[in-house]
Amino acid sequence: MIGNKRSPLRRFIWTAAFILLAGGMLFAGAQPEEKLLNFALSGNPDTLDPHKTSGTLTFQTLKSVYDTLVEPDEEGKLIPALAERWEVSGDGKTWTFYLRKGVVFHNGDPLTAADVKATLERIKDEATASPNRNEFEPIQSIETPDDLTVVLRLNEPWSPLIGTLGSGWGAILPKSLIDSGHDFASQPVGTGPFRMTEWVRDSRIVLEKNEDYWMKGHPKLDKVVMNIIPERAVQVQGLITGEVDVSYIIDEEDVPVLEDSGGVTVERNPTSLILVMAINCSDPVLSDLRVRQAITHAIDKQKVLDVAYGGGNPIATFMDYGNAYYKDFTDLYPYDPDKARSLLAQAGVGDDVVLEMALPQNYPPHVKAGEVYQEMLSDVGLNVEIKLVDWSTWISDVYRQAKYDLTVIGHTGKLDPHGTLADYGRENKYVRWVNDECAQLIDKAAVTSGFEARKKLYDQALEIMAREAPFMFLGTSLRRVVYQNNVVDFRMTPSLDTFDFRWTDLK
Amino acid sequence: MKRKFGNRFLYIAIAYLAILGAAAAAAPWVAPHNPTAQNLENRFEAPSFTHPLGTDNFGRDVLSRVIHGSRSALMVGLVSVSIALVIGSIVGLIAALSRGLVENTLMLLMDSLLSFPTVLLAITVVSFLGYGLVQVMVAIGVIYSPVFARLVRAEALSIKTEGYVEASRALGTPILKIVFKHILPNLLGKVVVQCSITFALSVVIEASLSYLGLGTQPPTPSWGLMLKDARNYLIQAPWMAVYPGLALALTVFSFNILGDSLSERFNPRVYRR
Repeated sequence: MIGNKRSPLRRFIWTAAFILLAGGMLFAGAQPEEKLLNFALSGNPDTLDPHKTSGTLTFQTLKSVYDTLVEPDEEGKLIPALAERWEVSGDGKTWTFYLRKGVVFHNGDPLTAADVKATLERIKDEATASPNRNEFEPIQSIETPDDLTVVLRLNEPWSPLIGTLGSGWGAILPKSLIDSGHDFASQPVGTGPFRMTEWVRDSRIVLEKNEDYWMKGHPKLDKVVMNIIPERAVQVQGLITGEVDVSYIIDEEDVPVLEDSGGVTVERNPTSLILVMAINCSDPVLSDLRVRQAITHAIDKQKVLDVAYGGGNPIATFMDYGNAYYKDFTDLYPYDPDKARSLLAQAGVGDDVVLEMALPQNYPPHVKAGEVYQEMLSDVGLNVEIKLVDWSTWISDVYRQAKYDLTVIGHTGKLDPHGTLADYGRENKYVRWVNDECAQLIDKAAVTSGFEARKKLYDQALEIMAREAPFMFLGTSLRRVVYQNNVVDFRMTPSLDTFDFRWTDLK
Repeated sequence: MKRKFGNRFLYIAIAYLAILGAAAAAAPWVAPHNPTAQNLENRFEAPSFTHPLGTDNFGRDVLSRVIHGSRSALMVGLVSVSIALVIGSIVGLIAALSRGLVENTLMLLMDSLLSFPTVLLAITVVSFLGYGLVQVMVAIGVIYSPVFARLVRAEALSIKTEGYVEASRALGTPILKIVFKHILPNLLGKVVVQCSITFALSVVIEASLSYLGLGTQPPTPSWGLMLKDARNYLIQAPWMAVYPGLALALTVFSFNILGDSLSERFNPRVYRR
């Protein structure tokens, strides 16, 4: 019996363990210091299953754990990731992806075409209930001619697919764990640059370096601790005391204090947000185009951006400022309170009409913007009442059922313009704005391939939206990323707002 | 010696409350600026001659907002205490006079309300009724009614057994007449004391709910809402938090002092000391 107290085997194990331990300690003493980055995350992700949520916090965390077939580079252009290269057939219906060789999952499984197939099938499975399932709808069949080739057959040429595959919800999971019903919601297993080793809810998420990562020489950090700190003031204090290395939700008002502290660098980057005041076009008063034009003429966009969002670039249509598909219409309805007053007079709208502005109270910048809007609108004679609503009410009453007159929100960017524009012009969107021409242009652009050809269609659609003003388009704000001076090359993925720690290093 | 200090505090409290009441009543004339007028060029201005208490994150005058904020505070106190007083007195009187099953049921109901933490209960009521000042007043009124019900019932029970009441009943006086002639007047002292204390608590709850975004809706000035806005600018613009906070603290303090001294006055044992 092995378990015998004085068995030679047992003695051998003890001795070996001792030697290993002692050796390990010696070795550890000689090793360079572990490179640990303390990151401030603004909230707790609802789940860590990339296929079961649309929460930004989830994708921000999982960017380091999972990879996608393709990914956006720093300019937002899609470049190879798990797929070394890909081909699209002439009719745009057959997409072939050639996978990178030698990629391994955190559990040791090598990446094969079967994993990609199982992953895509998992997303398409109704039982998974993925909120992004419809983006994968055009995929009719998935074939795996060999271990490193995946062929997707679509039922129509669908250009937005590549953007979907490059987004966080296109994360590739290992087939063996999908089959065994692994709990991906709390224990993600991917091919990404870091393994998640610990998640203490509402406290921290610990990521440890994946030594076998396919990108040679990356990641450079040994460990990233994402500290969940919802209070901005606490993040600011953490940056000053050095407990926090990087924070990405700093307000312009905090900048002077941080700069005075001397130890940190403040970087201002454009976000991919489309900040708007949405207008319910099914409301009898707001269905009048003149009233919507008046609302846009009444707003001094730059001022609202500066006061509520800490600066940014004004826009006048439904596309974020830095996007390749962005088109400038800011001269169409410029800030002109007198024009607004005369348009309202023509429309016969006085201050006896009360418009209710629903503000999501868990987003202080939108609430601040709402207060400024109210003042600017009352200046041209509109009677606007503010109503604060909690987030779940905003989603259910405002966004799903359109029970509101005006509301203030920001739309997050998408890798493909179709993600941003899909279904606008149809009455199922929360602005309840109906315009067949616009809806058809957007549909057509999705099945058109080639940037120039698509841009032509989107330009027309965006111009209709700008003229018809179902939103008061405000602008795209700046984000302030603040980091300790010894942090090098912290990147955020354009459009997706996720964190890319692969390049980050500590001096 | 002790009473002297107590009195001094009482005078200060009364003076403060008088000023506050006057400021609330005459707010539009007293306030130097429009409390909701934004001036985006003058944000976070430190206290100066034109803006004695500085300006906030929208360039609004803090002094004018504190003055106008006293209106929501006092209004909430007044209305919710009245609601609590009316509901509580009716329930307490019915319980005291009926006894038996009715009394037990009513008091059980009141006790179950009392068993919840007040702010939590207020949040529950407000999320049920919707956000806003009126809803907050109703919520606070309902929440504090058990305190009055308990008080009125206990007092009414003891007054009911007094010799003169029993004599009056023996003579066949209708019960309602006894209530208005003997019971209510004798209750008055204790109820007034409770009103003063509840007033202070209501002001705090209104501020808490507004701080959480559930109470007064912007841009209407409310001290709680001002504190909520100020929280993010504590380092750059401390005046945004200090003055509404001070107004709130002094109001609560004054009502408590007032309540204490009234209770001394109405409690014969303490009074004769």
